[in-house]
Amino acid sequence: MEIIVPIRQVPDVALNIRVNEGKVVEDGVSFVISSWDETAIEGALQMTEELGGEVTLLGIGPERVSEALRKGLAMGAHKAIHVLYEEGQTDSFGYAKIMAKVMEGRNYDLILTGKQAQDTDAGLTASMLAEFLDLPQVTNIIRFSDLAVDGMTLYRKGDHGTEVIGIKLPAVVTVNDSLNEPRLASMRGIMMAKKKPMETLSPSDLGMGAEELGLQGSMTEVLKFEKPESRKEGERFEGDETETVPMAIQKLVSEAKLAV
Amino acid sequence: MGSTAGKNWTEEDEKLLLETIDKWVENEVKPIAREYDQEDKYPHELVESMKDLGLFGATISPEYGGMGLPASVYAKVIIKVASVWMAPSGIFNSHLIMASAIERCGTDEQKTNWLPKMASGEFRGGIALTEPNAGTDLQAILTRADRNEQGYLLNGTKMWITNSMYGNCLLVLAKTDLNAKPAHKGMSAFLCQKNEGYEVSKKLKKLGYRSIDSCELTLVDKQVSSDALLGGEEGRGLQQVLGGLELGRINVAARGAGIAEGALKMAVDYAQERETFGQPISQHQAVQLKLAKMATRVEASKLLVGSAANKFDSGERCDMEAGMAKYFASEAGVFCSQEAMRIFGGYSYSTEYEIERFYRDAMLMCIGEGTNELQQLIIAKQLLERNKG
Repeated sequence: MEIIVPIRQVPDVALNIRVNEGKVVEDGVSFVISSWDETAIEGALQMTEELGGEVTLLGIGPERVSEALRKGLAMGAHKAIHVLYEEGQTDSFGYAKIMAKVMEGRNYDLILTGKQAQDTDAGLTASMLAEFLDLPQVTNIIRFSDLAVDGMTLYRKGDHGTEVIGIKLPAVVTVNDSLNEPRLASMRGIMMAKKKPMETLSPSDLGMGAEELGLQGSMTEVLKFEKPESRKEGERFEGDETETVPMAIQKLVSEAKLAV
Repeated sequence: MGSTAGKNWTEEDEKLLLETIDKWVENEVKPIAREYDQEDKYPHELVESMKDLGLFGATISPEYGGMGLPASVYAKVIIKVASVWMAPSGIFNSHLIMASAIERCGTDEQKTNWLPKMASGEFRGGIALTEPNAGTDLQAILTRADRNEQGYLLNGTKMWITNSMYGNCLLVLAKTDLNAKPAHKGMSAFLCQKNEGYEVSKKLKKLGYRSIDSCELTLVDKQVSSDALLGGEEGRGLQQVLGGLELGRINVAARGAGIAEGALKMAVDYAQERETFGQPISQHQAVQLKLAKMATRVEASKLLVGSAANKFDSGERCDMEAGMAKYFASEAGVFCSQEAMRIFGGYSYSTEYEIERFYRDAMLMCIGEGTNELQQLIIAKQLLERNKG
């Protein structure tokens, strides 16, 4: 089974993200693989461990993206493609288009990726990619079973419960983070990652011109980033619960207009 | 540390590795630390994840299936583990000291037979030096190895031997010539399998460093083959063992720095949560002074550990630097855990909070791997030797 896993490198959300003049300050920020994409890598590794085949990672972005790819290789992915891309702001449509170009002429059974990126939370790229490639798609899976090279059963977290879906491959599938617990990159994995192939491409290698890149190749534009307002401090009631619970209820009724 | 140590590790690899260790300690070590320490329970599940991560081969050369990690990176790994729970670092640390002795002093056959299995974690070992009446003064050990037709017959008692119960091999220091003068010329080291070369008589109860098996061993007419003699030559045991002490001290220094850093982190967090007189205690200058002293010692400890490790990696003599790092960082561990106890106030005395474990664990770093009193003598001796008047 040949699986391509597009991954996105995002600022580490565990750190304090700073915004200056409407832009996210990248200086001093450490970048990590978007967590849902890490889940997708783990899922792909489990599938190939069961059925054989290879996992190929795809990363689009500046030089630093190679670090994220290297980490995926250290986890156990077999090879990586890095589209070295410095064209600035690009939306889901723009990225999906580049991915579709990368897929041209490549052999794959499945494209497996996170249900959304941790930084934009848009959740559009995979669906657009499926459209560009004219492939079936299932989003937000929490489990898979009956794995075969031509199809599998997917368990999708839907609005009204778990949807059990049969799918024929090739297809595009996105994963929920409850699918698995991604493995850690072992020391051996880190050593071996250096010897694994990483193909570096430029947009022009893909036959893409300026009109398809950056803002020109996008359908939307983020005008600015705003830092969310910090939450107001809560109120603390001191004493034992026979005193504090009525005080809290009184407050909820009088100020928050809660009906009791 | 192998001859190829460090050559394969780039800054990017180091970053990736430390990220992995961060996640591992957060997800697997931290959640069990309190319970396992309280119940003095051995963390078998951590041993399995240590195998997966490659920690048992961390400093063994790649030619024997290890990772060839330089001391400078390895020390950072230890700091990270010890900043959450010091004890588990002993599971792979003592093991790697044994592996290092084999790699430095073993015959080709011993290296081939032992190191790949140690790197994978199939063999998990430690070093058996200390006896009831001999610790720092190793030449006073009483364990003897008498040569016979099948090899050597071992007899004696060993104390405080890490990994002896749940590991499966040890490097045992014994006397092959009781009358040798000086005594070290009659000392030899033996590669022993559990039950063949030694037996565990009991697991010792300790103030800190719990969960890890520190045991008393008995060796009564334990027959080992001639192949078990490290390096194949008698009379070299003490040198072989002491040759690993620089690295051992850097490791203990890293554990001290880790304890200090972990205690500082807990104190900083707690000081901002706990309120007295209408404001977080971090706003009181009495607490701020403590935090400043702690943070400075943490930083200085890490720099000393890094400096000694870099010197070790470059192949230079570093007994003075390793001694300074061990002395300072272990005292920093004690200082920071004590100061954190004071910042936590009454809660520090409760086992519901974890700071009391840091306090109990810290003192061992001042005693183990050569007491800090001994370190000061080593530092002074080297200082005078390097600056002869």
